[in-house]
Amino acid sequence: MSGPEVLVIGGGPAGVSAALELARAGIDVTLCEQGPRLGGAIHRQPDDPTQSVHVPQSHKRRWQALSDALAGSTVKVLCRHMFAGIEATGAVLLEDRIHGRLVTRRPAALVLAMGAIERVAPVPGWQLPGVVTVGGLQVMMKSTGRAPDGDVLIAGSGPLLVALAAQMASLGNAPVAVLERSPRLVSLRVVASLLRAPAYLREAAGYLLTLVRSGTLPQRGVCVTAIAPKDGRLSVTVRDRAGRERRLLVDRVALHDGLLPNSNGTTTGQHGPFIVRAGDCREVLGGTAALADGRLGAQAVLAHLGQTAPANKGPAAIMARERQAQAALNTLFDYSGRDPAQLPDETVICRCEGRTLGQLRSMLSADDPVSAREIKLNGRFGMGSCQGRFCAEWVASFVASQRNGTPPQPSEIVGSRWPVKPVPISAFVTLPPSSPSE
Amino acid sequence: MSDSQTFLFDGVSVPCTGRETIAAALDRAGIRMLGTGQGDCAGRYFCGIGACQACLVSVDGARMEACLTPARSGLQVERIAPVSS
Repeated sequence: MSGPEVLVIGGGPAGVSAALELARAGIDVTLCEQGPRLGGAIHRQPDDPTQSVHVPQSHKRRWQALSDALAGSTVKVLCRHMFAGIEATGAVLLEDRIHGRLVTRRPAALVLAMGAIERVAPVPGWQLPGVVTVGGLQVMMKSTGRAPDGDVLIAGSGPLLVALAAQMASLGNAPVAVLERSPRLVSLRVVASLLRAPAYLREAAGYLLTLVRSGTLPQRGVCVTAIAPKDGRLSVTVRDRAGRERRLLVDRVALHDGLLPNSNGTTTGQHGPFIVRAGDCREVLGGTAALADGRLGAQAVLAHLGQTAPANKGPAAIMARERQAQAALNTLFDYSGRDPAQLPDETVICRCEGRTLGQLRSMLSADDPVSAREIKLNGRFGMGSCQGRFCAEWVASFVASQRNGTPPQPSEIVGSRWPVKPVPISAFVTLPPSSPSE
Repeated sequence: MSDSQTFLFDGVSVPCTGRETIAAALDRAGIRMLGTGQGDCAGRYFCGIGACQACLVSVDGARMEACLTPARSGLQVERIAPVSS
C-alpha cells in the first residue's frame, strides 16, 4: 500500500476502532500494542485461549466483533511495541520489546489510544507489596482465569470495585469486604438518567445480584486509613461514617479512586505528526464510548489528510449519550481521597522512590517559595520511573493545601518530554534508530 | 498446567505456562516482593498495565515490567537493586 502511514498506539477498543476506520478508508495503518496481545484492559484476553472470561456478554460480543473485523482488514499489528515518545525532529519512537531495539517511524498522523491511568489516593502503606490497584487485580484475573488467592479487601470508590468483587465471587473467591467511600445510595434520578444507556443498568444488576448471593455487598461510607505489614500479611485500618475504626487482616488490598486520562509526555513540537487522542486516553467514558471515539479520531485524521470522511452523526451521538451516563454514574462516587492535612508525615507520596509527605512538607516550609520544577528536581517528587503518573496530582494538591497562591498544575511538576517511559540504553544501541522496523 | 516450563527468579525455579506474564507466574508462586526498590518501596505488582513501573525486573539483563513481559522457559529473571539509597 502506498500513501501516508498512520500509527495507532494502543490495542484496546479505541485503538482497534480507529485503526479499522482508517483501514476502511484505504489508509496504511499500523496498530502498536505494548502487551503481548490486543484487547486493552477492558478486553484482556485469557492466557489460556480455551478458557472463558467472566465478563458481561455485551463485552464479549464487542471484542469478538472487533477481532473479526481486524482479522479481515489490512491493519498491521505490532504487539510488544511500546510508544516511547516523539523526539525533536518529529520522529515517533517505538520500543520493540521482541528484538530489544528502538524503532523510529515518521507517520503522517498518530492516534494515541493508550487508555486511562488508574487513580489511587495515597494512604499510609499503599506502597507495600500485596497492595494493588483494582484494575491491576482485575487484568491479572482476566488473564489467568483464576480469582486472586487469599483474603482480598477491595476499597476506594467507583463502579470498578463492584465489578471486580462480583467477578472474583463468580470465580470462587469473593473478597472479604468491599469498602465504598461514598455514603450515597443509588437514586431513582441516577437510574432514570441511565435508562438511555441500559447496558450499565444490566451490568450493575448482574454484579449486585452476585454480591448479594456471596454476602459481600459494598459497605458504604467506609474507607481505608492505613495499611501495615503484619505476620506476612496486611493489617488494614478502616474507618466508618461514624468515625469508628477497626482492623482487618488480609493478604491483598485492591485500591481504586477513579480513572484519569493518560496524557503524560505526549505533547509534540512543530515537526511532529498530526496527533489525535481517542478513548479513555482522551476522556474517561468507558468501552462503548471508546469505540465511537476511535472512529471520531480516525475521521479527524482523514480530514487532516484531505480525505472526506462520510458524514455520520452516529459516533458523536454515542459520545453524548455515554458522557451523560458517566456523569450520572459519577454522582454516586466519592473520588476525593483523604484530606492531605489528615495524613501522617510517613505517608509515601512518590511510590517509585519512597519520598514521603513529611519530606514534601519540610521542603515547602522553607522560607523561599519552591517552584514546581524544584519540587521535582530537588524533592524528587514526580522524578521516578512512573514519571509522576501516580503522585503528581497528589503532590499538587498537597502544595495547594500548604501555601497560598496558585498551586502548580501536575503537568508543571512532571514536565513533558520523551521517553514517556524508561527505555533501556541497550534498545538505542542495539541497532541504529534508522533501521527498518520490520 | 499441562506443560512444565520454568524460568529462574533470583536463581529459584518458577513454573510458568505458555502465555502468562512473569508477574502472573510469580504471583501464583506466592512471590509478591519483586525487587528491593528504592527508598523503602519494594518492587511489586501494582497497576498491571505498565504505567506504574513498580514491577520492573531484570529479564535476561534488561529491565522490563513483569506485568507486560511473557514468561518463557529458560528466562533469567532477577530482582533489581536500588539505583541510589
